[in-house]
Amino acid sequence: MRIATKRDTRRHVQGLGERPAFSLVAIRKSWQAYALLSPIFLLLIVFVYYPPILGLVRAFYRWRPGVPATFVGLDNFIAYFTYAETPHELVNILKLLCFGLFAGIVMPFLMAELIFFVRSSAAKELYRLLVIIPMLVPGIVTVLLWQKLYDPYLGPINDLLRTLGYDELALNWLGEPATAIYAIIFVGFPWVWGVGTLIYLGGLGQISLSVYEAAALDGCIGIRRVLRIDLPLVLGQVRLLAILAVINAITAFQNILVLTDGGPGFATMVPGLTMFHKAFRAQEFGYSSAIGLMLFIIAMVGTLIINRSIRPTNEESN
Amino acid sequence: MSTQYREVYRRRPLQISQLGLHVIIVLLLFLSLIPTLIMINLSFKNGLQYRWERWGVSLPLRGSNYNAAWDVIDAYMWNTVLVAAIGLAGVLVLSLIGGYVFARMRFPLREPLYYAIISLLMVPWVLSFIPAYMLYLNLGLLNSRWALIIPNLAGGPILGIFLMRAFITGIPEELYESARCDGAGVWSLIWHITFPLSLPGLATLSVLNFVAEWNSFLWPLVTIHDMSKQVISVGLFRLSRTTNDGVDFGAGGPLFAGYVLASIPLVILFIVLGKFYVEGLVESGIKM
Repeated sequence: MRIATKRDTRRHVQGLGERPAFSLVAIRKSWQAYALLSPIFLLLIVFVYYPPILGLVRAFYRWRPGVPATFVGLDNFIAYFTYAETPHELVNILKLLCFGLFAGIVMPFLMAELIFFVRSSAAKELYRLLVIIPMLVPGIVTVLLWQKLYDPYLGPINDLLRTLGYDELALNWLGEPATAIYAIIFVGFPWVWGVGTLIYLGGLGQISLSVYEAAALDGCIGIRRVLRIDLPLVLGQVRLLAILAVINAITAFQNILVLTDGGPGFATMVPGLTMFHKAFRAQEFGYSSAIGLMLFIIAMVGTLIINRSIRPTNEESN
Repeated sequence: MSTQYREVYRRRPLQISQLGLHVIIVLLLFLSLIPTLIMINLSFKNGLQYRWERWGVSLPLRGSNYNAAWDVIDAYMWNTVLVAAIGLAGVLVLSLIGGYVFARMRFPLREPLYYAIISLLMVPWVLSFIPAYMLYLNLGLLNSRWALIIPNLAGGPILGIFLMRAFITGIPEELYESARCDGAGVWSLIWHITFPLSLPGLATLSVLNFVAEWNSFLWPLVTIHDMSKQVISVGLFRLSRTTNDGVDFGAGGPLFAGYVLASIPLVILFIVLGKFYVEGLVESGIKM
């Protein structure tokens, strides 16, 4: 993400000519630019830069509302890593991560390819619009609907299983420790995510026709074309969606909070939810900040790994 | 696709495979839409119909569910529209100004300042969620509408400046030069030239921002305790947890009608500005 942006801007700056010399005179001449930017930076400094820095510091403090914060060194981190449920929470985010990469990268790619192969441009246009429709339902409503779908007595999923004669399979999906985390993962089936699909379609649309014509003459069509030509040429999009999937899997807990609140027992607890509980139910804001910092580091490492391992190619190199 | 490419295929298998393609796409879309369809169907049922005839369409359709739902959620809807609109107005102004400054003005430290803003896109919210709560607590902003407006007003321009700078860079320089020759000042360049020409970019930004605001849940959940100021997501969440409400929300019908009503602003937005939304997503996928 950042790499592409940087390249973009360099080109743009060169296009505008020489960079002005850095001197007091130059700064005074440019007072208008700074004046125009000052409200933006004022807001950013107070409400966007300050909180994460504060969190970074307070992760090493005992911190409660109304009580002066006291420095406790690494105690918060030690407390979290020696907590009995922590390994379980980490296994849960690993499961969510593996699945999130599949649902966030593979399914939208499949959908985008299917739409891309459609010959009629009217139908193509229609599918591009239809794939957005599930996103017109607010996120919280989607989750609450899935909760209703999973309802053990009144839910359509168990109704369907009972109608088909699988009464023993009509479980309390969100209420059983063995199935709860998978039930949460299953939310959103078949995971044809509109944003991801459109991002891929944008990438596929960028591939020039001459590449396809050359490939088709060589007999490279259908599945082979998808794997040999399309996939390598949308690696930039794959990387973007992979980064989004990793950050989401590691930091998101909204669905879990709504569906199970970490239960039954601790079956669906994740670190993010522990952070939330510790802050807003136990008032341990320092401990929460430590978990937040840890999740931030894990997410950054994941992002860096993906940035290194997925290298987008361009048409010229093929 | 060009004719040359088309000729490579033989005609008959092509049509069968195209048919198969349509079948798979429609099936996947249908599966994605099942929860939405169930929601709409259930929104027209009363308690008994919900208990005994959940699956099919059962007559009579209880349109009154929508009245009952609206009476309960209207305040949440207006609250959300209010804070989203105020925040969005500010985000649009700041993004337009910021985008213009970074795209069209030359000044020392331009690049470092630009990256100082854009790199914030990489900071996951998880690091700032807890300390931001404490900041708003210490500033006495909790439980006020400012707690909902300020995060958007301050954070929205990050993506906004990124999008608007790219957009404004594409405006031909000649337009600015001729205006400068006529003695136009910075404000005039922004409002009379940049603003009208960057409306499509601002439309894209508006949709992305409004959808995000309409979906925001965790932040209002922790910062707003007074339900009369609460937003729609949290309102629906609370209603789904109460069963003995005046209109028996937990039982079904009216609750699902509320879900449908909560989706309508997004549907309207999509009908009016959907083109910009789709383009914005496709574009950002190419640029990033």
